Amino acid sequence: MHTEATPAPAEKSDADLVQQCQAGDTAAFDQLVGRYRTRVFGMIYNMVHSEQDAWDLAQDSFLKAWKSIGRFRGQSSFYTWVYRIVMNVTIDWLRKKQVKGSGAEFDDAIQLKEIEPASRTAPKADALPHERMQDQEIRARIDAAIAQLSPEHRAVILMKEIDDMQYHEIAETLECSIGTVMSRLFYARKKLQNLLRDVYENI
Amino acid sequence: MFMKTFEESWIAWVDGELSGEELAEFKASLPDISVAEMEKQEAFKLGNLLRERIGVRAMANGEFFQHQLLQEIEREAASASPRPETKARESWWSIGRLVWTGAASLALLSVFTFFVMREKTVGGRSAYLTQIIDARVDPAVSPNANISIFESKENKVTVVWVNGLQSLPSEYAAK
Repeated sequence: MHTEATPAPAEKSDADLVQQCQAGDTAAFDQLVGRYRTRVFGMIYNMVHSEQDAWDLAQDSFLKAWKSIGRFRGQSSFYTWVYRIVMNVTIDWLRKKQVKGSGAEFDDAIQLKEIEPASRTAPKADALPHERMQDQEIRARIDAAIAQLSPEHRAVILMKEIDDMQYHEIAETLECSIGTVMSRLFYARKKLQNLLRDVYENI
Repeated sequence: MFMKTFEESWIAWVDGELSGEELAEFKASLPDISVAEMEKQEAFKLGNLLRERIGVRAMANGEFFQHQLLQEIEREAASASPRPETKARESWWSIGRLVWTGAASLALLSVFTFFVMREKTVGGRSAYLTQIIDARVDPAVSPNANISIFESKENKVTVVWVNGLQSLPSEYAAK
């Protein structure tokens, strides 16, 4: 996991920007948001499968980060700290949504053209229509399977498999033990293996 | 890494985190190593599928996202600016005023109690007794005058014994 964006020579480090934020500099916070908004939004989207909800939750998360940045002591990287806030906000939202019993988990099918050009998963631009359709179906299957996981299991498997985070980083983010992380990962993988076996065995 | 449960050991094994003695112990604990190896391969395939198919969702209108966020921060700051003053005042009201109100109430209670008790005491006497007690007899003018009071609260009786009545001014007499 990249815990800090590498600043260009003229750019300030996260730590410097955090100090400025703590002095009330909103422009510095704007720079930090610019560095991490895509990753934050992407992770939230993978958790909630709704662009609008992901947008709102990312706004909430960054707003909370701004409000509490005075208490950030730099014991972890800024991104890890923000990630913790993001996960708390998102998991809380998912729990409330589950309690309300809202059935519709998906509000929009993934638009492959919207995947970042730099993404390692970016499809070929010249994919044929039937290939694109197949990709969309596979993605929909994966989203549906992930949606069957609890918010905590969802968070763990996405952080491990997509964000390539280490167990201790996940534990720090979710404020639980490494053992809990590994246990959740075990059950999340088992469940996804059952739900997606035919997908990964046939591609 | 110290493993406690089977799940933790399994995950560490799949992710290549087990080695040496731990790895040997874990493998020995598996009932069927070939089945376990198959499941391990499945976990790899699942991981690859997720990594390949779940992309990083690009944020459309990222600039607008930041603009909206800054606006919200400014709005919150504007609404929160009078807060410190309010908070200070609230804290004075809640702590300072509590102390002052308490002290003032105590003082008022003391004064009130004093006057009420005094009133009660004074009110309990007869007008004549009050007149006698309040009277000042100048020993130079009336050297033989003296007054003694005997009071029995149980029987609610007060006896005023006056000697040298003839030397008291006439206005001291009972009405």
